[in-house]
Amino acid sequence: MPLIKDGRESDNIWSNLDDERQDIAGSHVTVSLARFLRHKAEHDLPNVTLGVRLAPEDDPALLRPFLDDLILIEVSFPKYTDGRGYSQAQLLRRRYGYRGELRAVGHVLRDQILYMNRSGFDAFETSRADLSQVLAALTEHSAYYQPAADRAPSIFARRHPRSD
Amino acid sequence: MYRYDEFDAALVRERVAQFRGQVTRRLDGTLLEDEFKPLRLQNGVYLQLHAYMLRVAIPYGQLDPAKIRRLADIAERYDRGYGHFTTRQNIQFNWVSLKDIPDILDTLADVEMHAIQTSGNCIRNVTSDHFAGATADEIMDPRPWCELIRQWSTFHPEFAFLPRKFKIAVTAADHDRAAIRVHDIGLHMRRRGNEIGFEVHVGGGQGRTPIIATQIANFIPESQILDYLEAVMRVYNRFGRRDNKYKARIKILVSEAGPDAFRQLVDAEFAAQGPTETLALPQAEIDRVEAYFRAPYLPARTSASAALALARTADPGLDQWARTNLHPHKQAGYTSLTISLKPVGGLAGDATSAQMRAIADLAEQFGQDDIRVTHTQNIVLPHIAEDDLPALYSRLVEVGLATANEGLITDMIVCPGLDYCNLANARSIPVGQDIQNAFADPAEQEDIGRLHINISGCINACGHHHVGHIGILGVDRKGEEFYQISLGGRADEKAAIGEIAGRALPHEEVPGAIRRLVATYRALRTHPEESFIETLDRIGHDPFKEAIYAAD
Amino acid sequence: MTSVRPKLKPETPKAITGWDTATGQTVWLMADGRWSLQADDLGVFTGEVAEARLAAALAQEGQVTDPYFMEVTASGAIAGRETLRENIRASGPTVPYGETDS
Repeated sequence: MPLIKDGRESDNIWSNLDDERQDIAGSHVTVSLARFLRHKAEHDLPNVTLGVRLAPEDDPALLRPFLDDLILIEVSFPKYTDGRGYSQAQLLRRRYGYRGELRAVGHVLRDQILYMNRSGFDAFETSRADLSQVLAALTEHSAYYQPAADRAPSIFARRHPRSD
Repeated sequence: MYRYDEFDAALVRERVAQFRGQVTRRLDGTLLEDEFKPLRLQNGVYLQLHAYMLRVAIPYGQLDPAKIRRLADIAERYDRGYGHFTTRQNIQFNWVSLKDIPDILDTLADVEMHAIQTSGNCIRNVTSDHFAGATADEIMDPRPWCELIRQWSTFHPEFAFLPRKFKIAVTAADHDRAAIRVHDIGLHMRRRGNEIGFEVHVGGGQGRTPIIATQIANFIPESQILDYLEAVMRVYNRFGRRDNKYKARIKILVSEAGPDAFRQLVDAEFAAQGPTETLALPQAEIDRVEAYFRAPYLPARTSASAALALARTADPGLDQWARTNLHPHKQAGYTSLTISLKPVGGLAGDATSAQMRAIADLAEQFGQDDIRVTHTQNIVLPHIAEDDLPALYSRLVEVGLATANEGLITDMIVCPGLDYCNLANARSIPVGQDIQNAFADPAEQEDIGRLHINISGCINACGHHHVGHIGILGVDRKGEEFYQISLGGRADEKAAIGEIAGRALPHEEVPGAIRRLVATYRALRTHPEESFIETLDRIGHDPFKEAIYAAD
Repeated sequence: MTSVRPKLKPETPKAITGWDTATGQTVWLMADGRWSLQADDLGVFTGEVAEARLAAALAQEGQVTDPYFMEVTASGAIAGRETLRENIRASGPTVPYGETDS
């Protein structure tokens, strides 16, 4: 599936490993939160670079001890109307300080990408929006009232420059 | 009144362009209806029984002459010459074309209006006391905070796909006219010494499972309230149920978790906010917004208007109207008047383009350009000199807006029902009209006194039937319309959910049942000043239930 | 979400109705496959023909939104549990409204 990262089309070197499967294809693999935590206890997935795929009900706080080493967290949107991934992203970026790639996967549509980007996502795996549409979606607004994970200065702040 | 700065204006224009693009993609087939639906809903566009419906936001019910004139123009040019004011202080147009909606939104943007977040599973239009800034019984004007909450919640990236819709109401008055205890979040402004803060009620609501809100905080200082709201919203977004839309409102999360456990979740989330997460709303921003809501300059007047007194003795119609439709103003010689949109036999909450323009003229000539929409589907002019009432009244008579029934039995909340709504099970408007006709005598209405009848055409309760002193719910029985009557609801600071009286009645039996109910009240009240709800509370529901089901 | 629509048996006579996507006007499928703004023009379908017509209507997303089966009699009169709703859809609100009301 096409991957758009940092505003560009990007090759996807990652594959997702189902919890049931043992055979690992490739060197970069994302696994469920439960399987990731098991690996951290038992080291049963050696010799691959591991990322995590969060389900909507997962608590991202459980990843906190490992965030410095993670280079990819996928947040899945089984249905685009399930907005829990936005809170997971904001927590990972703003509270826990995660700096690696944060990728939206699943039902990722053009008209949600702006909200995703503001919530901290920098990569979108989607077959429903091409690069030009994603770039258009990201520039639909020039300013925002509230601060978010994108660190854009809020309108509330911009109205009152700190020089006063 | 708040005025847009360049940021507000740009955001609304950008939203119109964005929605125009979405409509184009919908019409060329690249955007499927299932994917378009949440997008159009977040811009107030429904597909109703007959047509698309556009719900335009009227933040906390605040209008001015330019805005209401623009609404009148839209009604005339793009609809059928009228609009419907709603229980969320908004206005709905019932007959618009999807292809015209981007143009309508552009003309709204010209007068600093929009349809953002008037539907969908996001934070909706913030509602408030329609007498805010004018009434004697408030500690301060709540509108600056309504405006700040409006801005904070607009396009909030984390809370656009909540489990379900989310409604916030704010009041600063002892008597709660904003029904804050039946909102997802109800905020009551409080003062502690020199500090302003908010009492926070969470998890109220109507619909299928009516619940009175739980108070989860006594006093959140104003500098922290937006951060506190973020904490509540995040807890809801993460833990609210998504498996069943009828259990997805925050009220279900609060009741299933238990109020204490819910409060702990919110407190923990609030306490965990780090310095990079808080909004840190600058005091200068609070001051900036408050400055827009400074009380208008009203020249000193004597407390009892001689001109009004004289005119009242000459005109019994004016006299009656002045008894029913005025609310005490904080300044002597002034009043807040209600323009009733509930003529007997009319359509509750509807106003024609001509009526909207007349209201604009009156607000300009007599009312400091200030116009409010009430959650009871009426219009308020909050700052009127009593001396001006005779002239103003005669103009209202000319345009059919002088109905003297504010708060009386014919001033009902009525949802559009099956005449318009795709969700309804039964019609609401005709049963409301029949009840009005049964109580058409103004003198009788006045003798009955304050009595709120609220009518909904389905369990979603847009007509607030759960909190009517008398609630009426339309139900479908194998294709026949029936109406279930409930008793004892109220939406104010003593909020309560009405109790179903018994079996549902066919349409034609409803007016008679209400007449017997009211006759019972008049027979049992201790004195004419004891209101229906007070009598009901004092003696219980039994005699009233008997009256409803007494054979004719 | 629209109201719950009753399941109709294959042999029950049915019409297909929806909304014009661009204008939102209510439309009914005629026997010849075109859409009409008048319920009087509706075509009556049953069985597999009805299913095929609905499938075809659902494939016209850009033109017609949310098409569905409504129950009618063999002669095309609105029938069944949703008679009141469908009559109001076909004929408009049962109360006078708008400028006529002032």
